Amino acid sequence: MKSLLIAALLAASTAPALAGDHRYGPFPAHYVEECASCHVAYPPQLLTAPGWQRVMTQLDRHYGIDASLDAKRRATIADYLQHAASRKDKHAPTEATARMTNTPWFIREHWPTPPAKTPFANCTACHTAADKGDYSESSLKLPAGFRHKERD
Amino acid sequence: MKFRILSGLALLALGGAASATTPAEFQATLGGGFSASRGETFYRNTHGGDCSCATCHTDNPAAGGNHAVTKKAIKPLAPAANAERFTSPEKIEKWFKRNCNDVLKRACTPQEKGDFLAFLLTIK
Repeated sequence: MKSLLIAALLAASTAPALAGDHRYGPFPAHYVEECASCHVAYPPQLLTAPGWQRVMTQLDRHYGIDASLDAKRRATIADYLQHAASRKDKHAPTEATARMTNTPWFIREHWPTPPAKTPFANCTACHTAADKGDYSESSLKLPAGFRHKERD
Repeated sequence: MKFRILSGLALLALGGAASATTPAEFQATLGGGFSASRGETFYRNTHGGDCSCATCHTDNPAAGGNHAVTKKAIKPLAPAANAERFTSPEKIEKWFKRNCNDVLKRACTPQEKGDFLAFLLTIK
């Protein structure tokens, strides 16, 4: 019983996200607790370490909102993000606030932009299982009039 | 093994109790002489800015709301409608700090927090 439990826990915590399947979760409880109150837990794998560093050093002015944390929690989450971050240039920040939605990868994937009434911060509007870190095609529900074009 | 799990749960419960509070207990730490009507005015006021507490928490604090930017669901704020509210001192301080900065561009005073609680506690 005990060994089964351990095996299940190991499988759950180390199951690698397969490249291209757009499934990034599950995320650690401390990350969900602090970073998924106002929006879904954004996948750490979609921004580079320098990008996350920029986000975490300006939490008191987080895209117009005060998202400040106490020093201990901030350090724990910053450390997690540094380790889980992307190492790919396409996920690098392009401006001072390091919005994930301004990375080359995001812009390419979400071109052309959906209607303005659906803010990009609201992933679940189209990625219906985004709250679980699942951005796969099977859970994608595109807004009316928006056609997704696969581009290289 | 069963005993170990049970004792672990007991420890967790004790640990939780050590830092838990109730809305009324928390309010008492802020002082006294609070007014629900002042709290309601405070709740609905935009304080010279773009938004009020009601912008995200809705006109009725017993109802669920949505985040103004991300549209993520926000659970009811009134303790009568959501028993988890105002039961963790850490969370209370974290959210007062953030939301007071967002709405008032400054920290809230103990008087304002106490009035705010007084208003929320009148909601059944």
